[in-house]
Amino acid sequence: MPDVSVVVIVYNDAERLPTAVQSVLDQTLHGVEVVIVDDCSKDRSYAVAQELEAAHPGRVRAFRLPENSGGCGAPRNHGIRQATGTYVMFLDSDDVLERNACRNMLAAAERTGSDLVSGMCVRVHLDNRWGKTTEWYPWIYSRTRTLESITEDPDLLVYDTLSTNKCYRRAFLLEQGLEFPVGIHYEDLLFSAQAYVAARRITLIPNHVYYWNVVEKASAKSISNRRHEIANFVHRMEIHRRVDELLAAKGHTDIKSAKDAKFLKHDLVLHLRDLPLLSDEYRQEFARLANGYLEGIDPAAYENVTYLQAICAYLLGKEDWDNLLPAADAMTNKGRLTSPLAERDGRVYWCAEHIDGPDGDEARRILDVTGQAFHTTPLTSLALGNRLTSYEDDGRGTVTVSGSVVNPLGRIPADAQLSATLEFRARRQIGVRSFSFPVATVRHAGDTIEWTATADVAGTVRPLGIIDAVWDVRLKLNAGGTRLTTRVSVGGVDLESAARLRVRPRLTRLVSDRFAPEVTKKGNLSYVLTAEGAAAVRTQTLISSAMHGRAAGVVKRGLRKALRARRNLGSGEQKVKVYHEVFSKLPIKKGTVVFESHMGKQYSDSPKAIYEEMVRQGVPFEAVWSYAGGKPTGFPKDATLVRRWSWPYLRALAQAEFWVDNQGFPLALTKREGTTYIQTWHGSALKRMGFHEPRTKAQGKAGQDRFQAAVNRFDHFLIRSEHDARTLAKGFRLRDEVLLRTGYPRNDALVEAHRAESQSGERVRGPLAAELGIDPEKKVLLYAPTFRANADGAVEGFEFPFDVEEFAERLGDRFTLLVRTHYLNSVSLPPSVAGRVIDVSRHHDITPLLALADGLITDYSSVMFDYSVLDRPMLFFAYDYEKYATDIRGTYFDLKEKAPGPVVATADELLQALAAFDEADAKYAEARQRFLTEFGEYDRGDAARQIVEKFFTGSRK
Amino acid sequence: MSRDIFIVSNSVDELGGVTTWSHQMAGLLTDRGHRVHIVGIAPVAEEIRQKLPQDLPYAMTTLYDTHPPKARHLRGIKGRLNAPERRRQAARRAQMRAKAEKLNELFRAAGPGAVVIVTQVWAMEWVALADTKGLGVIGMSHESFEASQKSTRADRVRRHYREVDRLLVLTPEDADLWIRAGMENVGSMPNPLPFMPDSPAPRTEKVVASVGRLAFEKGVDLLLDAWADAAPHHPDWVLRIYGAGVEEPALRAHAAGLGLTDSVEWMGSTDDVLGALRGASVFAQASRAEGFPITLLEAMAAGVPVAAFDCAPGVREIVAHGEDGLLARLGNTMELAGHLDVLMSDRALRDRLGDNAFRSVQRYSSAEITDRWEELFSFLER
Repeated sequence: MPDVSVVVIVYNDAERLPTAVQSVLDQTLHGVEVVIVDDCSKDRSYAVAQELEAAHPGRVRAFRLPENSGGCGAPRNHGIRQATGTYVMFLDSDDVLERNACRNMLAAAERTGSDLVSGMCVRVHLDNRWGKTTEWYPWIYSRTRTLESITEDPDLLVYDTLSTNKCYRRAFLLEQGLEFPVGIHYEDLLFSAQAYVAARRITLIPNHVYYWNVVEKASAKSISNRRHEIANFVHRMEIHRRVDELLAAKGHTDIKSAKDAKFLKHDLVLHLRDLPLLSDEYRQEFARLANGYLEGIDPAAYENVTYLQAICAYLLGKEDWDNLLPAADAMTNKGRLTSPLAERDGRVYWCAEHIDGPDGDEARRILDVTGQAFHTTPLTSLALGNRLTSYEDDGRGTVTVSGSVVNPLGRIPADAQLSATLEFRARRQIGVRSFSFPVATVRHAGDTIEWTATADVAGTVRPLGIIDAVWDVRLKLNAGGTRLTTRVSVGGVDLESAARLRVRPRLTRLVSDRFAPEVTKKGNLSYVLTAEGAAAVRTQTLISSAMHGRAAGVVKRGLRKALRARRNLGSGEQKVKVYHEVFSKLPIKKGTVVFESHMGKQYSDSPKAIYEEMVRQGVPFEAVWSYAGGKPTGFPKDATLVRRWSWPYLRALAQAEFWVDNQGFPLALTKREGTTYIQTWHGSALKRMGFHEPRTKAQGKAGQDRFQAAVNRFDHFLIRSEHDARTLAKGFRLRDEVLLRTGYPRNDALVEAHRAESQSGERVRGPLAAELGIDPEKKVLLYAPTFRANADGAVEGFEFPFDVEEFAERLGDRFTLLVRTHYLNSVSLPPSVAGRVIDVSRHHDITPLLALADGLITDYSSVMFDYSVLDRPMLFFAYDYEKYATDIRGTYFDLKEKAPGPVVATADELLQALAAFDEADAKYAEARQRFLTEFGEYDRGDAARQIVEKFFTGSRK
Repeated sequence: MSRDIFIVSNSVDELGGVTTWSHQMAGLLTDRGHRVHIVGIAPVAEEIRQKLPQDLPYAMTTLYDTHPPKARHLRGIKGRLNAPERRRQAARRAQMRAKAEKLNELFRAAGPGAVVIVTQVWAMEWVALADTKGLGVIGMSHESFEASQKSTRADRVRRHYREVDRLLVLTPEDADLWIRAGMENVGSMPNPLPFMPDSPAPRTEKVVASVGRLAFEKGVDLLLDAWADAAPHHPDWVLRIYGAGVEEPALRAHAAGLGLTDSVEWMGSTDDVLGALRGASVFAQASRAEGFPITLLEAMAAGVPVAAFDCAPGVREIVAHGEDGLLARLGNTMELAGHLDVLMSDRALRDRLGDNAFRSVQRYSSAEITDRWEELFSFLER
């Protein structure tokens, strides 16, 4: 008896059948048999099967169904009945098995005694030039595991619905009477669900077992083809219903819920993508089928899907096509904002419809997108939806296109000066890159910006040919100085009847002569080079056949290498090399100082204080400030600004006499002998730092040596107290002579503010209060939490640990809350709290905010040490202290013991403590004094002056 | 059935884990009636040679008389023009074919069902040249996946072991990693226990023991960090560090800096590991990298509860946290200190974990592992 029977089914596929069968005969496991079942093919399939049987007696058997069944179910069922092996697997005639598949499946099955072993399926894209393959749900198969029941991992049933990448104990199939349904498509879904549910034990192995050959271009269907899909959708819904019945009968509600979530995430999306192109009739039929099914979906499933998936399902339920289609577009193009949005009662909603109606509550629950921060994110960071509204051509080379860009919440004001260009851009950026056309009309229309452009594509766009075959179209909109780039989504505009434009590639019309408008996979407008003339067609055929030859392989490898080399030119590695080998050989420029704060993210902190002190004293020096990201805003105008990691930045660092920063210039850059590095650092430490961090301890020798070399660059390191000497200095293994006991220049202003306040007896609010629009009657609280990272050091996103709307409601009439997240985090406040809670995260410098605040709320941020200079009340909202202190990183002291203010753990306690704010002030006066003495003894208000004197105006000069 | 079994390594007697393993397995398989032949490719220098007993019950062969010249890839024009080196490499290849012929002679004499076990990927280069038709070929990698990745061995494993009938790695987790890296013929096989005492250690001494070379990757500095956190709560306990190595002076200075001079005893290396373990009540290991750490196995076999960094699949495979030992996240010395603290404080916990370890580690008993090898031989014939 063979160990494994492989049932190979075939229908009209005589050509490929031998390859499939051979992949079984070539298995490393010898004990395999092949059972070929022909679904009554019209071609030679059965004859080929019989030939294979004759060639491999005892190993191959061929069967034929008496009449065609039209599906995979009947032949596979027949195969199960004919199989003799202990285990059964299924293979389609156009696919192949991995050589070790049977051995790996058998080993797993025998080791665990599982009824069912499943391995990874790999999709092989036969029409892809680069031999692309994709793994099928690799996250399910990341490691070997055995489930006693499918309930241990419902995702397996929900996602991997294939029957072919599996090995079944034959006796199990027979005992359970498992068979494929016949006469319906998607038979795999039901069969695999039944098998999963019935299996006593299931083992998953990460091995590739099954190669599923796919030809993608065949699936690029025309609209008329898509209309037939409604029939497929009927089948799909029917199969889903049967699987649900099965789950209900067995009481598997958890699996049903997971399956419902997947339906919302995947199945629905698949069909929504096509909707713009289809008729109303189709849409109605689709909605009828889908909504019938959606009604039975577990409401809990909505908790596990993205906001857009929930919105799409909701809008489909309402058959609100006008809002659904943009939502579907947004879902396909992640991050795109395709709806103008609406604001009600301080919250932001996806659309203005539904939310005011009788069942407005449910609509508001689902359509609320306040958390997505569309109302606070800078416009330039939003990918605005841009829908094609009309497309016309002259049949030759000129097109006139119109479209409409979303204007969310009217953020592009009606009086903004508007202009735009339409850009054709090669997807592969080699040589010729883009061509632009002026957009003739751009008009503000309230919720949208309407535009129309006429472009002589044939006369202007000159592709190279062959290499740059695909061109994307983008609209570049300038709205009152704000530059926005948008892709154009085709939506319901019919491009199938559009003409292919004439085009003249630089490699002549012999390579291609037409430019065909095409809809990309994600529904956007693009053009593809094609051939129409006889000469061009010949060349294209030649090229495509040559692409698969051996010579092409060499060329392709060469091309890839060239592309990689080009990318490498601007890579960090290359830059570091040039820094060391070229820039560092240039002479040092005396008097040049490179400043950087928080890796260029801010103009702030002690580097700023030192810089300003130098300017104030009129020190002759050349200032260079580093900034991160796009355009620097808020940096000093008198200094030279260089983008971090840019060539000028590297050159400035290589030639500088002084480096001044508060965190660390790129670790890979060696500091030259003649450069003096003043490391101001950015805060005293509560949590363990440097070599005291578990993450550093875990590093290998090479990593530790690199880190040590990087901190050894510090010539001077500023500290505020002996606590810093015991913690930071030890954590970085700094020599004592490196330490400068000056205190922090950034805190000079705070010392001064405190002095002025104690002398005059009153607190004066500076211009910042007016700028922020703070009511003089209200007290100002600053909430400045630190970031949180997991054990790998990855930064977690910021979420309010208390209900900010509740704060505004309960305490908003007494306090104004300023929220400042750590610079690694960001926050978006709902419109409802406007005026009572203010996001000040984008202010470069926290010092003026500290001086303004009448009280500080923090958790473990080092601002606690700086704020103590002011001797004002502090509140510690340490809701996750245990985890923060002991779990991942560890602390140098127990905050609860030394905190100079109440430490609270819950949001309720926080609000209570705030209500009793004034009492706490007096009660903790002594503790604050102790805290300042221990952690800030050197902050005496003259740090910047000391530094400037020591290095820039003192005896040295 | 009784088989001819060839165990092929870089050398037959190079000091180290693979040699220990080869001879241990050769003995075990010989006891089961198999005809074992240990083959080394090349001899090694005197100072790194392991002393073997005179009367081994199995055959031993070394292919080369002196170590073969290093393989070099000659690239580019410079490589092409380097005639002397090209001649050397050609001679090397010819030599390899001749030595492979020597392997063929051995293999031809073998009966049906014979198996070749290649313990190191370098040795595989010779086995690949030999004719192994009709023989089962099993390749082995005696280190963690991660360790392979950090050296050139990962590429060589992928190249030379691709066609073997089975590539065995230390743990199922390492096997999965190799599979995800594109090898489809991978299985796993743990190492057998070197000794099996009849009873667990008495665990009466107030001693925490650590055994291992004093090298960076063994993380003794981290153990000292953890000890500095834990020791102040247990002034009557000592940490005994067995082992020697280049890091010793730096480690002693580190311990002094942490104020641990009185609570740490530097024992030097020992031949009597079991004795050292029986004199302790807790075993600590703070390695930054491991394969299938034999010292951990030994401690558990001795019935001493362990606290260790979870630095490799081999560690997770051997220790079930909370069941037969305690694991801390790599580098988190606070967590390791916590484990040491609780083990020193709680006698009942020590006894429970120690006894459990003593029992559970029996799954790596030599009988158990030899069974698994014999099953694998049969499986590969199916």
